Amino acid sequence: MDFIVNLAAGFMNLFTLGGQQFLSWVTGIIPTIVMLLVLMNAVMAMAGEKTVARLAKVCTGNPVLRYAVLPFVSAFMLGNPMALSIGKFMPEFYKPCYYASATYHCHTNNGLFPHINASELFIWLGIANGITALGLDTTPLAVRYLLVGLVANFISGWATEFTTKMVEKQQGITLSREFKAAK
Amino acid sequence: MSDYRSIRVEKGPGGFGGPLTITPTEQRNKVMYITGGGAEPECLAKIVELTGLTPVNGFKTNCPEEELALVIIDCGGTLRCGIYPKKRIPTINVMPVGKSGPMAQFIKEDIYVSAVTSEQVSPAEGAPTPKAEPKAEEPQNTRFTADQKVSETLAKQENKSLVTKLGLAAGKVVNTFYQAARDAIQTCITTLLPFMAFVSMLIGVINGSGFGNAFAAILTPLAGNIFGLVALGVICSIPGLSALLGPGAVIAQIVGTLVGAEIGKGNVAPQLALPALFAINCQGACDFIPVGLGLAEAETETIEVGVVSVMYSRFATGWLRVLLAYAASFGLYAA
Repeated sequence: MDFIVNLAAGFMNLFTLGGQQFLSWVTGIIPTIVMLLVLMNAVMAMAGEKTVARLAKVCTGNPVLRYAVLPFVSAFMLGNPMALSIGKFMPEFYKPCYYASATYHCHTNNGLFPHINASELFIWLGIANGITALGLDTTPLAVRYLLVGLVANFISGWATEFTTKMVEKQQGITLSREFKAAK
Repeated sequence: MSDYRSIRVEKGPGGFGGPLTITPTEQRNKVMYITGGGAEPECLAKIVELTGLTPVNGFKTNCPEEELALVIIDCGGTLRCGIYPKKRIPTINVMPVGKSGPMAQFIKEDIYVSAVTSEQVSPAEGAPTPKAEPKAEEPQNTRFTADQKVSETLAKQENKSLVTKLGLAAGKVVNTFYQAARDAIQTCITTLLPFMAFVSMLIGVINGSGFGNAFAAILTPLAGNIFGLVALGVICSIPGLSALLGPGAVIAQIVGTLVGAEIGKGNVAPQLALPALFAINCQGACDFIPVGLGLAEAETETIEVGVVSVMYSRFATGWLRVLLAYAASFGLYAA
């Protein structure tokens, strides 16, 4: 009999532990994120797509602007996944490269700006929770995540130009380097 | 060849939405599937047989949106499940996912159905043609009417007074923020809270049952030093595998939470949090390439090249990102 009681108690304990975890996240994380989301959603709605589209036309000519500045701004202003749509202002050849950089930008800036990719926040939050558990501030980590991300995402975007050339040869396709206006 | 027939698709167990009636036309005669890194979903064969639609693999190629009668996806609830409903293309999700993700508001019963297997697909009887979008009504002269708020009527007047302008501007700002708040709460309910609940349950079971120690034994050597982290990054970004690890970033988020737990317990140095953030996400968005490029209005060849190219570049630069982060992590949380 004791065995069954222990088993039942042990079983319930698993979910009590889970519940405690859930409660600590809901009270500790949700309120701040909601406040930030409200502000950033409003900024995105007011400034939004037109501003970024104007910037995009200036940025296509230069690799640093193309893979570091533009995706950073797009991610910040439009969030995931709309930031990826800014690739439409690029010539076909650069679209995969922009994609490679912009998708990473939707993660590396997430530490400071959770509105960018709220649905995949736990990549950042999961690890940051460990830092919080040690009683340390997560801001230095978030800042470095963003800065290293800026450099690393630029490299990833630029490197994609080379892999794209490689795949072009493999498949015998040549993508246009010139921007064509939308059909 | 005008041999197209309509089908009826219902939601499966635990699914959402539908029933949808899919009616192919001369122009809309293709079904695109973007599932499991390019594997054919189980229901595809029956759909093709019943409708006469041409199947298109979204991972290999793309086709113009005007030709799509139907899209089949296997989205875990973040992005893909909202993108096609947003474009008003009928969408079948083989996963049991309801209104979820940043585009949850577009996922409606009349355009989206989930948890579909071949059992939910049947020929439609007396299929109705899809209704045309309701046309916007002609704007009427400005008079206060019962179906229009005062503010809406005022906004349509041509010669606005200063007071009206001020009032409308203030109203717009307030409304923008209010909508922003609604969206924020919606994001919480549709994506953040469910994920927290899911991971909390896992963590409870893992910690309470003693599995946690076993996980730690596996993870600590991987996440506890830079060589392990580089190896983790390389493995995550292997082309092909990277596309399978991608959906919803669920795997990366769970691994992140587990590594975070080890940092919290002191088994992994806090300094390594920075390279770990890069290592667990080297595969970032490899599952999403065709859709993402579609958002950028890429042409078919671009998608064919881009899918392979981005996977290669992820593999080529993944380890570099981890090392870069490691180099930048010195002095972080130094005692």
